[in-house]
Parts: sequence; structure tokens; C-alpha cells
Amino acid sequence: MLNKIRWLVSGNGQHSEYADIVVSSRVRIARNVSQFNFDVKLKPADAERLLQFLRTTIGSLIKGEYIDIRQISALERESLLECHLISPAFLRKEKPTGLYISEDGDISIMLNEEDHLRIQALAAGMNIQQIADKIFSFEDSIGAELDFSFDETYGFITSCPTNLGTGFRGSVLLHLPGLVFTNEVEKVLKGALQIGMAVRGIYGEGSEIKGSLFQISNQHTLGLREEDLLQTITKLTSMIVDIEKKARDVIFSKARHEFEDKIFRSIAILRSARIISTDEVLNLLSAVRFGVGTGILKEVNLDVVNEIMLVSRPANIQLFYNEILEEHERDVRRADFIRSRLSRKTA
Amino acid sequence: MLCDDCKKNPATIFFKEVLPEKVVELHLCGSCAHKRGLLLTKKMSPIEMLQRLLKEKSAKDEQIICGKCYLSLAEFKRIGRFGCVRCLETFKPYIKNLIKQIHHSEKHVGRHAEHGKQKGYEVYQLREQLKKALEKEAYEEAAAIRDKLKKFGVESAE
Ligand SMILES: [Zn+2]
Ligand SMILES: [Zn+2]
Repeated sequence: MLNKIRWLVSGNGQHSEYADIVVSSRVRIARNVSQFNFDVKLKPADAERLLQFLRTTIGSLIKGEYIDIRQISALERESLLECHLISPAFLRKEKPTGLYISEDGDISIMLNEEDHLRIQALAAGMNIQQIADKIFSFEDSIGAELDFSFDETYGFITSCPTNLGTGFRGSVLLHLPGLVFTNEVEKVLKGALQIGMAVRGIYGEGSEIKGSLFQISNQHTLGLREEDLLQTITKLTSMIVDIEKKARDVIFSKARHEFEDKIFRSIAILRSARIISTDEVLNLLSAVRFGVGTGILKEVNLDVVNEIMLVSRPANIQLFYNEILEEHERDVRRADFIRSRLSRKTA
Repeated sequence: MLCDDCKKNPATIFFKEVLPEKVVELHLCGSCAHKRGLLLTKKMSPIEMLQRLLKEKSAKDEQIICGKCYLSLAEFKRIGRFGCVRCLETFKPYIKNLIKQIHHSEKHVGRHAEHGKQKGYEVYQLREQLKKALEKEAYEEAAAIRDKLKKFGVESAE
């Protein structure tokens, strides 16, 4: 199951520029098949028929793995969620649901989520255009097989009116410790809101360098072309990256020692801890990511940082060791895992 | 209750958002909410806008019913979801304004669905029937299904 995170760690150290600032990119489109009712009016037996139909059709188009969500353990389901391959709403569904993951791991399709198909692609770094291209080329092939619900005025018809039109959501996850330090987050994010992007600073635990993760995504799906949305997100991201880099210069002129101290203490704790919680890992990794991105920490690469970020999560760490673990035991094993990952590179 | 972020100041702002990916709940002090940029997201999100607009009900809502899935406009306003491909067409005159306010637009631009060519589900069904017919060695039935498949321009070697 854990090979599902290939999308985040497939860089083999060869990351796109600023991959420490742009952590990951994501695109999803929502589609429905005309012949079948939507979620709220879909009878369980029809949901089952639809599922088989979609599974067969997708299977004939792309090589990959089909996961019947009912057939896997609660732990595996939780892990798919932690790897961002499924949504919490998907887990709560009582109707039959399935997940199709392409062989190379970069396209995943939720079947019978709120929409019949939620096609998504994820990648590390700033790769939103590339993954969008993948999604659309897949959509072209599956669109020749399925009659998608479509309205000339309102575009693709989705279960929820907020997705009408393109059914397109593009997002990037940004790591912005510099902007948090210089107190410019609000200014930057306000600009994003004005051009129709939603901004959320929900990931981090705390302020300062600890969390510093922000997600931007398009708010609206009607009246905007996919390529325009992609361009807006791309431009906005590169603008934010520039400001973040300037803010980092400020950090180095004003608080270099403090930040270096934080970075080296963080990596030291990760390398030495015997018990560590998911939250603590996230906070320490933020400092480490900053250190790697600014070249202060040379012996760690972003693949390892990304891998630790995902595998450290509660269900993933249990799957990694293939054991059901109590919280305390998880904290111990998580520390083991992180030490093994961080020592390999530095021996 | 103390602020989730700084764990020092009392939490004065309760932030809850239902995202497609997760439900986020945060209790923050003013200064931490500010740092996260949460105070400026006060601009209503499409989902919040939808929830607010759906509260505008009308007596006729119960009578406006989709002919395919039988979802009424009243029910749509309760759940905020369409029941099928035809609901939109049925409710269009009544929710035009709602859609416009959510999206700041009234017209789709961008990718289109190719209509009319796909026989996906019917062909899939026929193929499944053919498989079953062959399993139970009902060759006449199988031949009839093959003929139907040919009408879709599908050759079936199975
Ligand atoms: Zn606070
Ligand atoms: Zn309907």
C-alpha cells in the first residue's frame, strides 16, 4: 500500500526548482455518467453496476490497480487518506466505492465519490501543468467511452453546484517560513483571494517556522477555462516563490544564527529521538525543509523529507511496519523509522 | 480554551471549514488566526455562498420535480446536491441566480464533453450479457447479442 506515495518521492533527489517551497501540486476533475443518477439518488444496486462498469472501462484504458474499498482494512483505508489519494467523504460512504490507481502512481480515480468519477493527479514540486496534461489526456480517452453529464450553458454537471463548469480544482501546497517570519503572509494571501484563489493555512501546527504550510487553489469552476486557471495558479505561485525568497534573504540578514540553530537542532532531534509524535515531526521537518531549500543542510534531500512527512503519519507508520500499533508504540517506531532514514545518507 | 497554535492566549475565534478533503476545526486567538491568514478568508467561499443561498425557499419548491430522478427543488435546497443529469435543466429557471452568485459567471468555457458518440454503458452491458450467454452455452442468444453489438460498430470476438 505504501508504494502509493511514489508521486511524492519519485524525484530521486532530482527536484524541480524551488521544490522546497512548492511542496506538491494537485489537479482533480469531477465527472458523472449521464445514464446513472448522481450520488443522492443512486440506489445501492445501481452504484454496484456503475462501479463494475467504470472499473472495466478504466481498466481497458490504463494499466493500474483497482482497490475495492470494502475489501481493504480500516488501516489501509486510513493510509490512502493520509497519502491524499482519497477524501474523508469517500471513507464515510456507505455505497460501494472503488479506487483506481495508475501503474505509475500519478493518476488516481475515486469511483462513486460525491461524483461518479473524481480523477486526480498529484506530483511533488511545481508540476501542475504536467499533471493537468496527464489528466486531460486520460479524460480524452475515457470521454470517448462514457457519456459525461454536460450542459451547454453550465458545462460538466456535477453533484454539487459549486463544481459546475469545468469541475476542475488545481492546487499547490506551499512552504512559506520566510513570509511567516517577515509577517507578509496576509499581504500575499490577500492578493491571491482577489484573483479568485482560496488560501488555507491549515496544515501547520503553529506559527513561525513550525508549520508554515499553505495551500492555494481555485475557488470557482464556472466561466474560467482550465488553462486560464492553470496559468493563474502558476503565475501566482511563482510570484509567491519570489517573495518567499526575498523574505529568506531578510531572515539571513536579521536572524541567521537563530534559524541555523533551529535547523540544526531540528535535524538533531529527528536523528536522535526515541519517541516522537506526528505533530512534532511535522514541525521539525518544516525547519529541515527550510534548511535543505536554503542549502544550509546539504546531506539531506527533499525526497527523504517528503517520505518522512508521509510515512510518519499514524496509519502509514503502522502499514510500514505491517503491525497494528498503539499510540505510544507508534511514536517509538516512528522515531526508529526516521532515524533509519536520516542516518543512511550521512553515514 | 487556549489557542491551538500558541497555547498561550485564550481562543476567541472558532474556525470550521468542511473541505472536500477534510473537516478542519481550529480554536485560535486573534493574533494566530491573523498569522494563518484566516481572518481574510472571511470572503465567502462558494460552498458557504451556496449554503446561504439555499435558505431562500419558496412555497412552489415542493412542486418542482425532476422527471428523471424525482428530486424536488425543495429537497435540492435541503441537501444542496443534484440527483441526476436532468435536475439542472429542471431547476435552471429557479437557480440561475444562485449559480451566478456562487461562480460570478453564467456560462461555461473550457473543455467540452463529446456528445452522442459514446455507447459505453450499452456496449458494456451487451458484452456482459454475451459473456454470460457463452458461459451457459446459449449460442443463439449469443448470436443475437453479437448482432446488436455490430449495430454499435463493435466487433466482438469473445
Ligand atoms: Zn494563539
Ligand atoms: Zn434529477
